[in-house]
Amino acid sequence: MSALRVDAKVVMLGKESVGKTSLVERYVHHRFLVGPYQNTIGAAFVAKSIQLGDKVITLGIWDTAGSERYEAMSRIYYRGARAAIVCYDLTDSGSFQRARFWVKELQNCEEHCKIYLCGTKTDLVVEDRSLRKMKVRTVSLLQSALLTCRCTVGNEKNEASYFVPAEETGINLGQKKDSYFYSCCHNN
Amino acid sequence: MSQRTERRGIHVDQSDLLCKKGCGYYGNAAWQGLCSKCWREEYQRVRQKQIQDDWALAEKLQREEEAAYASSHGAQAQSHSQTAVPQLHPGHASLGAFSKFEEKKTNEKTRKVTTVKKFFSPSSRTPPKKDTQEGRTPSPSISRHASFETDQVSKEFVEFLKNLQKPGREIHKQCRAFIMNMSSKKELSADELSECVQDFYQNMADRLMSHFKGSSESVERVMDQVEKYIMTRLYKSVFCPESTDDERKDLATQKRIRALHWVTIQMLCVSMDEEIPEVSEDVVKAITDIIEMDSKRVPRDKLGCITRCSKHIFSAIRITRNEPASADDFLPALIYIVLKANPPRLQSNIQYITRFCNPSRLMTGEDGYYFTNLCCAVAFIEKLDAQSLNLSPEEFQRYMSGQASPRLHSSEGDWPQSGVTAANPVLAQLNHNLERLSLVSSRQQMLMEAAQSMQADLLSWPEGVQREVSGVLEKYPLQILPRTVSAMDANNADSDGPPPLLTAQVFAG
Repeated sequence: MSALRVDAKVVMLGKESVGKTSLVERYVHHRFLVGPYQNTIGAAFVAKSIQLGDKVITLGIWDTAGSERYEAMSRIYYRGARAAIVCYDLTDSGSFQRARFWVKELQNCEEHCKIYLCGTKTDLVVEDRSLRKMKVRTVSLLQSALLTCRCTVGNEKNEASYFVPAEETGINLGQKKDSYFYSCCHNN
Repeated sequence: MSQRTERRGIHVDQSDLLCKKGCGYYGNAAWQGLCSKCWREEYQRVRQKQIQDDWALAEKLQREEEAAYASSHGAQAQSHSQTAVPQLHPGHASLGAFSKFEEKKTNEKTRKVTTVKKFFSPSSRTPPKKDTQEGRTPSPSISRHASFETDQVSKEFVEFLKNLQKPGREIHKQCRAFIMNMSSKKELSADELSECVQDFYQNMADRLMSHFKGSSESVERVMDQVEKYIMTRLYKSVFCPESTDDERKDLATQKRIRALHWVTIQMLCVSMDEEIPEVSEDVVKAITDIIEMDSKRVPRDKLGCITRCSKHIFSAIRITRNEPASADDFLPALIYIVLKANPPRLQSNIQYITRFCNPSRLMTGEDGYYFTNLCCAVAFIEKLDAQSLNLSPEEFQRYMSGQASPRLHSSEGDWPQSGVTAANPVLAQLNHNLERLSLVSSRQQMLMEAAQSMQADLLSWPEGVQREVSGVLEKYPLQILPRTVSAMDANNADSDGPPPLLTAQVFAG
């Protein structure tokens, strides 16, 4: 009775090569991979069970294709998702524009979907004006996202940067925070 | 007709696809080039006519019979000019019985019509192969095959439920009632049918949940079986129903994919290198799996085909790139596979799965993920334009109209392709394999020769040994031995006592 299964669909959204796949890999397999590895055939879909109190929740994490040419189809992907992790590359302002697009889309189409904003590759960031600009814009996006975080890339420094939880209730937030603590040491 | 099908294999233009009656809908070779609606009308009309003809014939026969009867009773000398027909039936056959028989026959005919209709309405499986037969009469072997399949499923289902004892009977009863109920609701639209099935799943799952006290695994197991059972039984009536335009969409998609035959792997930015034998093998397997989807009846089995196809694609990408594929690699590859495979009745299958699959599987599980990707791939193919292939609109137009081919173009361009091998990797593979085979055969020849010489060696070896031995024997003749022996014998003879010594009482005692 205690192990009631709740399946939640989590979609990863973000421009190509912002590090969605690495984020998932890191979270699920606790690894960041530089070279070739053999034991997974694909990282596009992963299921991960997490324990939350007396419940075991199975997250189905859906990776999506971020290329602009598939933009029109992204709606098919996030239909019915309980949570969406919108990733952007802190070193690429273009990816931030795309993140805005997805946040808007999600707000319009999936009202029950919790949105998490995630800036990746903090270790590659050289503080400059464009980044500061981006930060300002991030704050404006914060209204819509439940939680934002920035993750580092590559090295093992684990610069788990800051979390700004806008709301702290509900299972989704809990499970997401969990994933964030793991994935905050991430790579691209 | 044969001419038409021949042409179909290669290229079909618009006019071939449209209904021959010119109603604007797409026609189907299985329906003699008519659309489903016109075909039904046409078929009904022909059948009706045939029935009427049969009646007319029956009446004529009866009249002649009567006449013959009358004539046989009347003046026997009078012979009719049309004696051939009445002779078929001896004059004293009971007229009443005969007309009854005729009636029965026509009854049977009309029933046959409805079964034929039933056959056609849920769009017969793999139409292109069977159309020649089915166009005229339904082959009994096909219907038997279908019922065999459902029987098999029913048997399995009952077998499975036996383990559940009492609740099993309950489930069986419910399912049967549901199927009966569904078959009486023929006039419902596809969406309403879907709703009925989904409601049934939901109710069943809830009840099972309370029965198994929340063990979701057991519930899932039973639900899988329930799905298998009811969907196999309902397949014919709910797959690609006439009330929807699924069939039209199928044909549109098929045509679209055909028109896009020129799209290359480079245009889609797919990271698969088909020159690697393992990769091309995976590609072939993926294509086979996605085509196989149409032959399955249960939504879950169809999903299984998609998942298998996806796994092959992942493996192909991993071999090419030496790292696991992300969705950024996977989706283009899937699009490429769909374009290459042009799976039959793709839209109908997608609709069928969406309507009748157990929703929990579709929304969250791995199968659901791959299915969603397939939907995306199809959506992409439908909307595909110059921009999505990084081509200029002019180039796209030229390719679409068939004025230019990127393959020819590319051989002059910078893509590393060389002659025939590049144009056809399969051919290159074939040549490669042939070379290997000839190498293997020459090696085998060498092996055989070596084995034969070894055998000869082995045969001659004992002879050699024998010869050597006899040589030695000749060299050192045996005559020497008797001399020494005789000397010993002489000694022994001198002592004169050994035999009694050998039988000494030591043994006896």
